[in-house]
Amino acid sequence: MSHQLPAILYLLPLFAAISMPVVCLKHRHWSLPISVAILAAMVMVSILNLHNVVHHGEVRYVFSGWDAPLGIEWVADGLASVIMVLLSSLGLLGVLFTGPTSPKALGGRIVHYYTLILLLISSLTGIVFSGDLFNLFVFLEVAAISSYALVGVAGGRALFAAFRYLILGTIGASFFLLGVSYLYAVTGTLNMADLAERLPLLLNSKAVVGGLLFIFIGLGIKMALVPFHAWMPEAYTYAPDSVSPILAPLITKVALLAWVRIFFWVLNASIVIYDIPILLLVAILGILAAVIGASLALAQRDIKMMFAYGGISHIGIILIGIGQGNQTGFTGGIFYLLNDAVMQAALFFIAGMALCQYGVRTIDDLGRVGKKAPWLTGSLIIVSLGMIGLPPTGGFFGKWYIILGALESGDYISVAAVVLSTLLTLAYFVKLFESIFRQTTTQSDVQFGEIPLSFKLTLGVTSAAIMILGLSSSPIIQLLLNHALPPGL
Amino acid sequence: MVDAFSAVFQRPNFLTFVIIFLWGFYIMVTRYNLVKKLIGMYLVQTSVIFFLVSISAKKGATVPVLLSTTEPVQAASYANPLPQVLTLTAIVVGVATLGVGLALCGAIYRQYGSLDEQEILEKLE
Repeated sequence: MSHQLPAILYLLPLFAAISMPVVCLKHRHWSLPISVAILAAMVMVSILNLHNVVHHGEVRYVFSGWDAPLGIEWVADGLASVIMVLLSSLGLLGVLFTGPTSPKALGGRIVHYYTLILLLISSLTGIVFSGDLFNLFVFLEVAAISSYALVGVAGGRALFAAFRYLILGTIGASFFLLGVSYLYAVTGTLNMADLAERLPLLLNSKAVVGGLLFIFIGLGIKMALVPFHAWMPEAYTYAPDSVSPILAPLITKVALLAWVRIFFWVLNASIVIYDIPILLLVAILGILAAVIGASLALAQRDIKMMFAYGGISHIGIILIGIGQGNQTGFTGGIFYLLNDAVMQAALFFIAGMALCQYGVRTIDDLGRVGKKAPWLTGSLIIVSLGMIGLPPTGGFFGKWYIILGALESGDYISVAAVVLSTLLTLAYFVKLFESIFRQTTTQSDVQFGEIPLSFKLTLGVTSAAIMILGLSSSPIIQLLLNHALPPGL
Repeated sequence: MVDAFSAVFQRPNFLTFVIIFLWGFYIMVTRYNLVKKLIGMYLVQTSVIFFLVSISAKKGATVPVLLSTTEPVQAASYANPLPQVLTLTAIVVGVATLGVGLALCGAIYRQYGSLDEQEILEKLE
């Protein structure tokens, strides 16, 4: 039974998504409880799966009895299982958050919305577990198609953002497929474990180098790495309030995970191609993303736009950690990825609540309501502590291990970039708080409605999670060190 | 130089792929009409699919259906079936993407009364 858990994790949301339009045709209000039940079940199964993987080693799931190089194989190792717990719990929180905002924000398209969310979660599960390059491509595309539709589901300005996202995302997918077909043409296999044996001997082949480059560009577009990030801020800003907290933490992070899989598990990460160490390249791109993303965030006045650019800079910080090529840096990067996903979810919950409950869209509006919104301000303070990286939060320990890893490999420029990016993050949160706490004279007695329970719940859980991740950082880091390291690092 | 050129012309499938890919890319970047952008996007996808299926071709090989069940299989006499199967999946993915793109175009047209990117951007200001 326990070796079936990866497939169960994938099939639960998939079948729910397929049956949702039929079941909820007559009873539209059933869609919320069904999705919550399915995602809660997923959280439990993913925890069970993590427990199983930690105690009995990784699970290799083979579909319909065709063994690995010929058939499609899924690998549930430590890294995938940890990310899976994160993925299903953030999905659950996102759906819980949606409850009260949905009818108004989604223009009545509730059933479509829940169907797409479940489809998105199931395909992200596929990306996390997949051990086959072409399988990975298909799941990347299913996830991408459902997120294009989710961004545009409510109409309005988001439609145009969704269209741009679609164009750029499809270019990324085409590059990825091109890279995969290059690798297939050279090696004759698509299975990652099989490729890992054949590729190291072929690194002088131009086709292999070209294929890896195309895969890198393709996934770079999907994870909003800096030169390719153009689609991301607009899509997350104009997406409905209940969509962006689910897309923002998951899409880019899972694409990053797929990239880590290919470059650390298939290739040995310390390889040098044409005298260029790949990891150095990764660290440089990370440095660029960390600094440029944070500087662009500083220039924004729209809250959601600011948070989206913040997400871009944090992708850069994760890449810096991963690019150090030692255990400390890698673990720090993955730990920071977990934290960053929770923080992004919390930030977009806050932005969604600000817009939905108080009608706040820009920083200037925030000053109007700041003192009347204790939940908003309180959770914003906690999340900002995490984003800046102050001690009791998880963000601090992530950055700490990344800097330790950079010092270990003697890469002082990376250290400087992490510190600079932290200072810029501090600057844009100071800008935010300055407008909240500045005394404004035009205080009218506008009464805001009661805050719905689901807002309090999601904000409370994410704020607590940021703290708990920090307080229990050492067991989590230990877990990652023991079970989630790539071979040969 | 001459060698490089002759190597390129010995692989007409690569040449075709590059031409279609760049053509699609060019349309996508230069045209303002959203439907034309989608056409460019579909050309890019199709070129990659074409490349994928072309690497399975062999001289003197036939479709991958066994000619005889009693004799041992001669790999050289059949085209490689795997890229063809992958191609089918990639086509389905491409069609789904195109469908979502066209649906978005339709919704944009209903909302803004135009499919021209610049006109829409002016209305967004």
